[in-house]
Parts: sequence; C-alpha cells; structure tokens
Amino acid sequence: MAIMRINVGPIHPGTHGVLRLVVDVDGDTIKDVEPHIGFLHRGVEKLMETRMYMQNPSYTEKLDYIAPLSWDDLYVNSVEKALGVPVKEPAQYERVILLEFQRIASHLLWLGTMVNDIGQLFTIFMWCFRERAKVLKLLEDVSGSRMFYVNLRLGGFNKNPPPDFAERCHQLADYLESKITGYQDVLDADSVFMERTRKVGVLSKDDAIAHGVAGPVLRASGVQEDARRSHPYYVYDKMDFRVPVKANGDAYDRYRVRYEEMLESIRIIRQAVDAMPEGDATGMPIRLIGPQAKPDTIIMQEELPRGEGIIYMVPDKQRPYRIAMRSPAFANLAVLPKISKGQRFADLFSIIGSLDVIMAEIDR
Amino acid sequence: MKSKGFEYLKKITAVDYTDHFEVIYLVYSIKEGKDEIIKVKVPAESPEIQTVVKRYPAADWYEREMSEMFGIKITGRSAKRLLLELWNGSEYPLRKSFTWGKDYKRVD
Repeated sequence: MAIMRINVGPIHPGTHGVLRLVVDVDGDTIKDVEPHIGFLHRGVEKLMETRMYMQNPSYTEKLDYIAPLSWDDLYVNSVEKALGVPVKEPAQYERVILLEFQRIASHLLWLGTMVNDIGQLFTIFMWCFRERAKVLKLLEDVSGSRMFYVNLRLGGFNKNPPPDFAERCHQLADYLESKITGYQDVLDADSVFMERTRKVGVLSKDDAIAHGVAGPVLRASGVQEDARRSHPYYVYDKMDFRVPVKANGDAYDRYRVRYEEMLESIRIIRQAVDAMPEGDATGMPIRLIGPQAKPDTIIMQEELPRGEGIIYMVPDKQRPYRIAMRSPAFANLAVLPKISKGQRFADLFSIIGSLDVIMAEIDR
Repeated sequence: MKSKGFEYLKKITAVDYTDHFEVIYLVYSIKEGKDEIIKVKVPAESPEIQTVVKRYPAADWYEREMSEMFGIKITGRSAKRLLLELWNGSEYPLRKSFTWGKDYKRVD
C-alpha cells in the first residue's frame, strides 16, 4: 500500500496542548512521525532577560501549568544559589512537602487524562481529579491561590504555614494513599488499558540514554536516575525513599513508574512532616543580585514531575544576563519519532500520553 | 567526551557575550553521577560549530533550537527544517542585538 501522510493537530484532544504531528502511515502502521512544535512559543528565556529577578517567577510558573510550583522552586532556588542565601530549615521541609504534593497532583492529572486518551472514558479521570482537587485545596490554603502560587521568597515563603498544617498533611497523605492504591487493581483488570499500554512505544535502555530522555520515561527504561538522589537539594538526602525503576520501557511501565512515585511521594511527605522543625519559614523578597554574586554561572538541577529540569543562569546585577532552561518534556517529546515507528496509528496517542508532554514548557 | 563515560547529554545552549558566543554542553555520567560542562567559544562573525548528533542523538532538537535562536550554524549534519519555525532566518531572538518592537511576520 502507498504511504499516506496524515496531519494531526495542531489542535487535537490527544496532543495535550498545541502540537502538530505529520504522520506517514502505511495502512495502520506508522512509518514516520515529525512533531512540529513552537505554537506556544512566547520567548520566555528572552523575556526573563528583560525582567528583574522578582518579576520572573510568574514566567517560570507558566512553563508547566500542571505543576507550577516545581519550576518556580527551581528558579527561586537558583537565585538563592546566586546570592548565597541559605534556605531556613523549616522552609526546606515545607518546600519538600509542597513539592511532593505538587508531584502527586501532576501525576494524578497525567493519569486521568492518559486513561481518558486511550478510550477508558471518565471514571479514572473523575477519581484523579477528585484527589487532585484536595491537593490543590491544601496548596491554596498555604499559598493563597489555587494554581499559580508565587509564594516562594528568598530563604523561605511569603508567610508561615497555617497552624494545622502538619495535621492536614497527614490527613491528606492518608486519604491519597487509600485512594491511589485502589487504582492499581482497577487499571490492571482493565483490558482496554492493558492492551493499549503493554508493549506499546517501547524504548530500550541504550536508546533512552542516547536520546537523553528524562524522569519517569528514563526510569521506565531501566535507568536509575533521579535528581533528588544524584543532586540532592533541600532535605531530600535525609529522606528515605525508593526510586522506582522498570525494565520494559513501554507505556505501561511509564504508568507504573509514575504510580509508584506517587506512593513514594506520600512516604516523603510523612517523613518531612514529622521531621519539620518549629520556627519561622518566611523569607525575604527576591531582590537584585548585587556584586555579591560569586560564580559567573549558576547551574541548578531539580527533579520536576516530568524529569530533571535545569536552569543555567548567567547572573547580572538587575536581571539575568542569560537564563537557559532544560525542559524534561522537550527531551521526552524528541524521542517520539523513535518510539512510534512501527506502531499502530491508534497507539500514537497512548504513546504521547505516556510521555506526559506539556507544550508550554517545550516551546517556552 | 563520550568515551570518558559521559553518555547522557542534558542540554545544549548558548550565551551571547556580544563579542563572541559560548556554546554550552551539559553532559552527565549516569554511572558515576557526575556532571560536566563543556564551553566552546565561537566567534561572533559567521558563527559555526560542528554537530555532535552522531555521538549524542539527543543533540538533534537542541542543536536545531540553538541554531534558530542564535543563528549559530551547525555543520556536518543534514539540513533539516528549523525546530520552532517562527523566525525567517534573518533575526535571532536570543542574540543581544535582537531589536524589540519590530513587526515580525510568522513563517508558515
């Protein structure tokens, strides 16, 4: 049969944002995929060069609108590193707690939409959103806004956590654990989900390393790599947690890695809440970097929900001279042509879903 | 670099220091958990750099993005289309000489 070229997107429910794919198919088999990105390009890196340091968190948050706190924290942490400002100890614990809650919220949204994409409509989706709403409520009560928090300051937060913070974190962790552990049985007994994720979009270990994929996609291919382990920040080195690794590298393993990560996040939250010292967690407003900035370049790595994010910054007095961001979703989308060759066309959407791309971060 | 065990490429980017460019490669060794930063100076006049895409397949998109944003020509690889396809190849937005407020036309 002749090869047919199909255009998918730029607006398509399966592409999670504005992504255009040009797909060459032979019958139902994919011969080639060419992702066209750039529809959401705002020029964030250039914009951040023209704004002062305290103005920039509102840009970093919108990079990944599913998990805004993660990018925000990465940015604020790199400014802290440039200034040499230490983070107060209670704030370090609180940041770890909130970041892990943010990771759970992000993975829940991913799971809900992923299962929705592959045709198992709305049941899991509604469950995931029910749980995610509770996480967002806690984050709202801590920061004051539901999605875009902008509550990080140099060395701490804009305000102290509410007095019942520890108790509420424990309650929420218990609730999440009881609900999330239930998903496993439902999904494993679901023939649609299993058929459409098992042995779909297989990425081998060598290819995963060569193509530089990040986060859960890398770990699902059997590579033990997590920035919380390899470049510990805050109090992650004091936490006892496992880095889930799977060997097959298919869409199902990517789901399993994220699923287990949620449970590990709950463990981290419990430990951090118990170990969190009393004390003031407020920080200073983000100010200008004066001549006290010691190194001429700053590199900061953190494990975001989608993988390892890096900020490479050349600081200047008032504004960053250059700020480059490594987006994990960018690296993960780049591997799409590689893993979708030879797959069926209908499975393309479960592959995109399993990569957990977010276009705002990829296009920047 | 790869022969030394730095098998994982994290990012390629560049900085415009107006009198020269600096191309930055962040590579990583998963086994040893060690980072390495390689900085390559590139002259401001007709900047060019050799591709690393054969050693690091991950470099494909990073090189194309850098080429579009900084106008640094990548030699030794097949000329694919630009990555974001937003600029017509005469203006490079992440250069310091980029002029604001001009009416740019999107390339389709």
